[in-house]
Amino acid sequence: MSGVSIDHLISIVVLFFAVLLFIGLFNQTLSSAVDYQRNTSTAKACGDLLDTMLLTPGIPTSGTPIAFGLQDTALTQYQLDPFSLMRLDSSTQASISYQKTDLTYSNITTSPSNYLLYPYTDMINYSTALSLMGINGTYGFQLSLTPTVSISIAQVSASPLSLSLNVTGTGFPLANADVNYLLIPVLLSTGSPDFETIAHQTGTVETNSIGSTSVTFPNFSLNPNLTYAFVAYAYLDGITGIGCYEPSPVGTQSIVPFLDPLSTLNVTLAHSDDIPNTSTTANTLYYNTTFILESQNYAIQETSLGSSNTSGSVTSGPGNPISISMGSYTPGILVIAYDNSGNSGVVMMPWGFSSLGFSMIFGGTQLNHGWVATDLRQVQINGVSYQAKLSLWSEQSYSESG
Amino acid sequence: MMRTVEVLLVIILLGAAYVATSSYIALPSPSTVSPVDLNQLAYTTLQELDSRYDLSSAAFQTNNLTAWGDLQIALAASLPANMVYNLTVYNVNTASNGGPLYSRVASISNAANLVSTDASSYLEASSNVTYISTPQQISTNGSPITLYILDCSDTAGWWITGYTPSSLAQTVYSLLSPYFKNTVMVQNTSQLNQLLNGQSIQGGSVNNAIIINTCGEAVPIPTNFSSPTGLNYTMGYDSVDKSYAMYDYTLGKITQLYNWTWVSIVGYPFYYVTNTGSLSSSQNNFGIYGMNMVNGYGLSAFLEGLNDQSYKYTGSSVGQPGVVYLTSQVQSLCNYYGLYPSVSQTSTRALPTSITSYNLVVTNSLFTTTSPYNPGAVYRHLDGTNYQGGFFALGMARIPDIRLTALGILCAYQPARYGSLYTAVGSNRLVVLQLGIVGGG
Repeated sequence: MSGVSIDHLISIVVLFFAVLLFIGLFNQTLSSAVDYQRNTSTAKACGDLLDTMLLTPGIPTSGTPIAFGLQDTALTQYQLDPFSLMRLDSSTQASISYQKTDLTYSNITTSPSNYLLYPYTDMINYSTALSLMGINGTYGFQLSLTPTVSISIAQVSASPLSLSLNVTGTGFPLANADVNYLLIPVLLSTGSPDFETIAHQTGTVETNSIGSTSVTFPNFSLNPNLTYAFVAYAYLDGITGIGCYEPSPVGTQSIVPFLDPLSTLNVTLAHSDDIPNTSTTANTLYYNTTFILESQNYAIQETSLGSSNTSGSVTSGPGNPISISMGSYTPGILVIAYDNSGNSGVVMMPWGFSSLGFSMIFGGTQLNHGWVATDLRQVQINGVSYQAKLSLWSEQSYSESG
Repeated sequence: MMRTVEVLLVIILLGAAYVATSSYIALPSPSTVSPVDLNQLAYTTLQELDSRYDLSSAAFQTNNLTAWGDLQIALAASLPANMVYNLTVYNVNTASNGGPLYSRVASISNAANLVSTDASSYLEASSNVTYISTPQQISTNGSPITLYILDCSDTAGWWITGYTPSSLAQTVYSLLSPYFKNTVMVQNTSQLNQLLNGQSIQGGSVNNAIIINTCGEAVPIPTNFSSPTGLNYTMGYDSVDKSYAMYDYTLGKITQLYNWTWVSIVGYPFYYVTNTGSLSSSQNNFGIYGMNMVNGYGLSAFLEGLNDQSYKYTGSSVGQPGVVYLTSQVQSLCNYYGLYPSVSQTSTRALPTSITSYNLVVTNSLFTTTSPYNPGAVYRHLDGTNYQGGFFALGMARIPDIRLTALGILCAYQPARYGSLYTAVGSNRLVVLQLGIVGGG
């Protein structure tokens, strides 16, 4: 009798522990499967949300939009609005304050002379985007836009001016590509700098098998009274990229262009000594501006802004800043040349996000989120090729198994 | 003992079940859980390659190794480095049962076998049956004409209310530049001075050019012509009558010399001259500085110059026919060129038909003539049996509709838009792009 009882007890205890063990094991397997389902669901949502963003009409130039979208309403399919993108709070660099306008600006600066500074007060931030898309508390995302083609430009010689260009795509060099270029010579005179006209300042060259080419301007040699800006478009079978170059600025003072809210069409020109706080000393820089357009056949065309204050002077210290009007929502590049008292240079600012081939990252951070799904599309922004990549993760509180 | 054995048997069964279950529901790789949507990526890649119709062109030139080589380079450059692809072109014909029949024409690939791939397709129409239409470039006697748009930063505008000369220049540039081999924005009066001296700007041709003045009733005047110290001051200023009508006379002479077509977009042509530098202290009686009133003397001076007759300080007049209508031919061309300004416009500064006494011939009219006025007409100056110089003044009330200017030029030259029907047999090709990922994905 006692043997039977002991056998029963042992079997019950062993069975109990075995069941506990297998519940744990099965639970682990099942929860992994549930994770798999959730991750697959997130991945599907990623593609859907990316298409929603790219195919919904773009954010207007003023006010809070009723939906989050980036598409250029004048065009079709995956073509994005260059001005909607300017309103996204996509800065990854330290913000810049400017006391004279009492505003803080988001900062995309790709070189000491290429700026995109936009006031936070008129921007669409990440939390607003989440609300507009109806995924607040459900998903988090990060949208990145990167040019498909990058053009790196370097000065090879100064007399005569010669520049080398390397054109690369995402995967391989862009060989046999046509490159349209425009040189803007700048004469640094005693007053406002002058934009000069020389023979053969525009033209087309072709890249070789490794995506390289060079441009020489026999009529243009650098000297202390001359500087320049250079812009190039590379294109091959619909794949288009843009690059720009200007010599390093001379001196410590420069002109910094701050964009006003897009609806005003204005750009404020600030003296670098007034950033962030108004200087107590008065230093003057003389400036002149011009505007670069890209036509349908990839030709680059220089034109004037035709508004007031397109040339003049900016003085640090008390007083109102200079404001110039861009006139219209025609994408292009604002070129500002400045000089005085040993300070000179050329500054370029994109009017329309893609005009200088800037990259952007908009959204939250991917750190400390379990599974991150990604998806990719090829898009065009004002004719410039970009890759749009969306990273998406679930914000709902569950922990990964294992 | 028997119970313990039974329990061990149960444990063995459970263990076997767990092993079997685990092996069947082993988690897939991350690339399977969250794959890049290759279908959409392929579609957007095809769309990008075809954004300027290069894919369409290559799909119908499969024997053109250069076109296919470029296509492969563009494809490789636009895709991430770990992508493999296969792009295949199929000819689309009709089978005997009426269904589509696809026959492979050519393909390019960077991999022998594509496993775990996805594909997207794109239907292309050949260039001779395509939706796109290629504009003919406007030329004279086989030589391309250059379009100059006066977008001078050192000038002011009048009667272009709500616009700036620059914004109008940019709009007209986008409307007309496809029809010209070379379109040049004249950015300041210094460049205009170059042009008036017969020097080319940005590779443009001086002869036979079209000059569009976007400053409205004002005409940009270079400092050389407006400043007493300027080299051409005597060709710009009539010191006897104290008027810049002399400059308009010079413009007329140059228009005749180089066979230009001068375009006035709104209002009374040559009513003011403008230069915000040299004329900064004078204003147009309405508080716009940098402008000097020439009055109606400017128009008659221009016409005298265009007719190559001596300068005479004479007044001119324009009329107010009121509401005028686009001619039926122009309305038809609106469809052809895709420009749709209102059919009815208001003209309050129409040129009188009497200006034909300056040896001018009307070669094109935008509006039905309302005698004795002819608004929106292109006048050509007859020099013997040849045309030498032209003048196109819209004469509309402000605010200008710049599309009328573009329409007037297009109607005057009538460049063709090449395109054809979409119904030709064998005109379609299907392009299939298959993508795969190598490595971890």
